[in-house]
Amino acid sequence: MKRLSKNKRGQFVIIAVLLIAVMIISVAATMHRAATYYKHEPWDEYSTLISNIELSSRRLVELSLANYTRTSNASTLRNNLAKWQTDLTSMYPGYGIALRYTLSEGPSSILGRTFNFDRGLNQSWGQRASFSIAKANFTLDVTSIGLNGYKFSVLSLVNVTVRNVLSASGGKLLINVTITDENRAQMTGLKKENFLPEGFTYTNFGVTAEYDQTYSLIYMIACEGVAGSPSPVWVRMWDSRGIHVRAKYP
Amino acid sequence: MRIIETILASFVVIAALSFTSIFVVTPTSPKYDTTELQKLGYNVLHDLDKQGLLARYVYSGQWDEAKAALRVMLPLDVYFRLEVRYTNGTIINTTPIVYGDSATIASSKDVASITYGLPGYSTRVDATNYRACYDPRLLTLQLVRG
Repeated sequence: MKRLSKNKRGQFVIIAVLLIAVMIISVAATMHRAATYYKHEPWDEYSTLISNIELSSRRLVELSLANYTRTSNASTLRNNLAKWQTDLTSMYPGYGIALRYTLSEGPSSILGRTFNFDRGLNQSWGQRASFSIAKANFTLDVTSIGLNGYKFSVLSLVNVTVRNVLSASGGKLLINVTITDENRAQMTGLKKENFLPEGFTYTNFGVTAEYDQTYSLIYMIACEGVAGSPSPVWVRMWDSRGIHVRAKYP
Repeated sequence: MRIIETILASFVVIAALSFTSIFVVTPTSPKYDTTELQKLGYNVLHDLDKQGLLARYVYSGQWDEAKAALRVMLPLDVYFRLEVRYTNGTIINTTPIVYGDSATIASSKDVASITYGLPGYSTRVDATNYRACYDPRLLTLQLVRG
């Protein structure tokens, strides 16, 4: 009887340890599930994928605007976006990517000014304040991660304003120009090759960027060998994306 | 009398602990490393694209510059191979854009592969003309920890 009792205590130890082992495994499994739940879905990869599509769509709108300002073909943006829609699905097979877009159409007020869009594009040149603009709204679905209706919009704008034109002695002409982008920020880093004065004869010209109290950054186009005081004065400008604007003064 | 039971119990505990170690994902494990490399690769390509450098390298065929930029932005112990393709799958870069041993990258089990798309690029043709065309490219960056 005593021996049996002793044996029972021994079995109890094993049973107790087995229970502890089961508890260890259960706790470990639960913690593993908790710790790796989000790792099963590579969220960072998806967020960068979405950023990539967003950035690429922006680039596409910009280059479509650049193409439009060169060719005046208002179907450029719509055609490019239609191709981009198809190519995206083949670029990222298995993700279930669907990109939809709507192009701004008709009058639309942006940055305190009204623009009259034609298939998402518009250009208004030959004024003191001239611009080229593109606007498109996108909706992105990535069905493989259950993302539906991710919205983003792309606005691309170059606004060239001829502030004044000053004639100086010795056949010199100074054209002061400000250039802003879609964020109303002054465009920096432009050089001589980004500008071309037109509508009058000159022998040479140079471009310098100067700080200005009113406009913060102003581009001064200094023309040499100018006869008289020409009017009107045209300024052609291309930004680093290739977007073209022609402004006229007065 | 309970020595055998104690030994058995110890085995049970050791077995349980050994079993749970299977689930552990440490920062040095290949599974963790591949995810980290993917994040790293995406971030590097995205940064280069945001700065406007990636499109310039790809559309101008500046493969050496692309390789140099990736070498600067990726850690030294990360080997990479970059392939640039048309959307139909034809490889464009005739010069391989590789850092590290190609055989190592090809034979490694834990390769992080990143796909990145570019829609097009605008280039200056002459003083008064830019060429801005829709011409998509597909980039595949493979990363391996050396």
